Amino acid sequence: MSGDGECTGGDLLRRALAGERAAFGALVGTHQRMVFSLALRMLRDRHAAEDLAQEVFLQLYRSLSAVSSEAHLAFWLRKVTVHRAIDRLRREPRLEMAPLEEAQVPAGEAHSRDPILERRLRSLVAQLPPAARAVVLLRYQEDLDPADIARTLRMPVNTVKSHLKRSLAELRERMTSSGALT
Amino acid sequence: MSDDRHEPESNDLERRLRAALKPVNPGEGFTAGVMARVAAEPRPARRPRSPAVVSWLAFGLAASVVLAVLLAHEWQVRRIEQGREARRQLIEALRVTDEKLNLAYRVVNSRQDAAPAQHSGA
Repeated sequence: MSGDGECTGGDLLRRALAGERAAFGALVGTHQRMVFSLALRMLRDRHAAEDLAQEVFLQLYRSLSAVSSEAHLAFWLRKVTVHRAIDRLRREPRLEMAPLEEAQVPAGEAHSRDPILERRLRSLVAQLPPAARAVVLLRYQEDLDPADIARTLRMPVNTVKSHLKRSLAELRERMTSSGALT
Repeated sequence: MSDDRHEPESNDLERRLRAALKPVNPGEGFTAGVMARVAAEPRPARRPRSPAVVSWLAFGLAASVVLAVLLAHEWQVRRIEQGREARRQLIEALRVTDEKLNLAYRVVNSRQDAAPAQHSGA
C-alpha cells in the first residue's frame, strides 16, 4: 500500500473503476484479511480458502462497475465470499470432515491472552453447520448486527437471531463441558 | 443475543469469540496471485451511464425523431404544393394555347369565307 497511504477507500475504488490496476491491487490489499479469514473459517482448509478468496477478487474485478461505494464493496465481498464458501462446501463435502487449519498470525499481533482457548473456540465454530457458522463469523469476526447479517445472507432477521442463540448455547455447553469455560 | 440467565457467561463467551475470530492474513504473495489472474483478464466494462444521463440521451433521441418526422412531413407538403402549382401552370398554358389556336382557326376560316365573295364580285 505504499504510495497509496494517503488514499481513502473511496479514492482507490474510483481509480480502480477508472481502470487503474494498481488501485485495484491496493483494494485487494485492504480487504484480503477479511475475505481470506471468512473463507478459511468457512472451508477450514488454507489452500481452498486462498483459492476461493482469489476467485472472489477476480469476480470483483469483473463486476467492479456494479460497486457503488466503499461500504457497498465490503458488503459485496462478505456476501460473495460466504455464498461461494457455502456452495463449495456443498460441492466438496470432504472439506467438512477436515480439521480447521490455523492461519499464521503476524508476529506483531500475537498478543492472545489465551491462545489454547481461542484455538479451541475457532475449532468449535468450524464444527457448526455452514449457515450457523456464517452467521457466527459475520457477527463476531465482522462485527455486523443481525439486520446486516440477514441482508448479507439473504435470510430473515429472526432466523439470524435464532442461529446466533442456538450457536452460542452450543458453544457455551461444549466449552463448559471441556472445562475451558467456567 | 442470549437470555438473562446466561448473560454474564454469554458476554464473556462473546468477548472470547471476538478475540478468537480476529481476521488473519493470507499467505505472502496472495495479492500478487490475484493480480496475476487479473492481468490475464480483459479490462472490465466501464461503469454504465447514470440514470440521469440515460434519460437525457433518451430525451434527445426522442426529440430528434420527432424533429425528423416534422421535417419529412413539411418536405412532403411542399412537394405536393409544388406539384399542384406545376399542374395549375400547365392547365393555364394549355388554356392559353387553346385560345390562340381557336383565334387562328377563326382568322383562317374568315379569310376563306371572304375569298369566294371577292371572286364572284369580280
